[in-house]
Amino acid sequence: MNEQSKHLTEEELIDHFYGEDAAADRVERHLKACSRCAQEYSALQRDLSGVKALTPPVRGDGYGEQVWNSIRGSLQPYEPKGWRWPSLGFQRPLALVAACALLMVAAFIAGRVWQRQETPTVAVASDPQAKQRVVVWVLGDHLDRSERLLVALNHASGKDAAEALPIQSEARQLLAANRLIRQSAKQSGDPQVDAALDRLERLLVEVANEPNGLDQADLNRLREEMNTDGLLFDVRVLRSRVPGSQGAGQQPNTAAGVKGVSI
Amino acid sequence: MEESDQAIRRAVLDGDKDAYGALVVRHSQTVFRVAYRITGNEEDAEEVVQETFLRGYQKIADFEGRSSLATWFYRIASNCALDLVTRKKVEATSRVAEEADPEQGEVQVADDKAGPDRLLLSREIEARQQAAMQSLTATERTAFVLRHMEDRSTEEIAAALNVAPNAAKQAVFRAVQKLRRQLAPLWVNT
Repeated sequence: MNEQSKHLTEEELIDHFYGEDAAADRVERHLKACSRCAQEYSALQRDLSGVKALTPPVRGDGYGEQVWNSIRGSLQPYEPKGWRWPSLGFQRPLALVAACALLMVAAFIAGRVWQRQETPTVAVASDPQAKQRVVVWVLGDHLDRSERLLVALNHASGKDAAEALPIQSEARQLLAANRLIRQSAKQSGDPQVDAALDRLERLLVEVANEPNGLDQADLNRLREEMNTDGLLFDVRVLRSRVPGSQGAGQQPNTAAGVKGVSI
Repeated sequence: MEESDQAIRRAVLDGDKDAYGALVVRHSQTVFRVAYRITGNEEDAEEVVQETFLRGYQKIADFEGRSSLATWFYRIASNCALDLVTRKKVEATSRVAEEADPEQGEVQVADDKAGPDRLLLSREIEARQQAAMQSLTATERTAFVLRHMEDRSTEEIAAALNVAPNAAKQAVFRAVQKLRRQLAPLWVNT
């Protein structure tokens, strides 16, 4: 089959419309010679030209000042060089653990109050080791579940609609916890954890909100678009840095131990 | 201009918080424009603008100077807008699930009896277009806005969305395909 007899795909036409095709001359020649593709391209041009860019409401010259005034109070000045936070980098994990501990204790207390029961809350709240155990358990559990979900997602065939239901259900459950943990990571200034959980959150949202379930095409798209293999690796790395979350009887690996816990 | 941006960045890192104000003033309009186009909503766009500059301030020490600060802020803004659209979609999905009213998801367009005048048709097209944009996933929507309305290249979109170029391109393709399917009835009637 020669070059002229092969019709252009929709993707090639879209690329051509946006001027991103590597072989623009070939496409042009084909469009001149092939009435069917020319017709397709003409329809594409009509459709896309009809989608107008939204015109934003006008913002005056003082808009930048207005934005600055609205955020100025929330910003803390950087400390001059020599006193900057990176020199305390090893404390970031502790800050996150503390933030998570606070969060978990608050949740724990709320739960106990709700159940109208007595003192164990006080015992946990006043025992730092107990707090940390709760945090580690929650983080470890969340990362374990996320890892299992990613593995399931990577291996799902999408041929049977029922296969994806538990994956979507699990993604919905993980979403809320992921958001809380990510916020804690963000507040304690750990960009690595924040970035990984941010990517995880996007995937969870996409998985949880596919209205018609996940078919093979959806799964392939998610795997490619969200790079689920890479995400799985990131989750495993994070998991390896949570102390004691390697499973019963296992120790954190040496590399992670040397680097310290960055969660 | 860019040297000046860099000088401001250095001043910020040396503890001059107010120097950051000049960056905010300089880049606010662009950030607002892209935020508005991605979110499709003035109030949300304002939220994205604030979040962008807050996030920018927190991360300015990490800025490596491989691109201009304008591009850097643009990427953060696209990312913040994507986050917000994603969050809104989750909330909307939860509401729909709770209310379980299928008619709520339908587009309200003018009916045929209203007459053939252009204004009405234009409103119908606009409503259809908005509904079609809502049907895209957050990633598709952001990729399409950056490609179609902001004229950004695949590489720029990929960098803004933090995905591989091929994934960015696929997101644009899917968005175009979905939009064409949704808007097809309009072309039959015009």
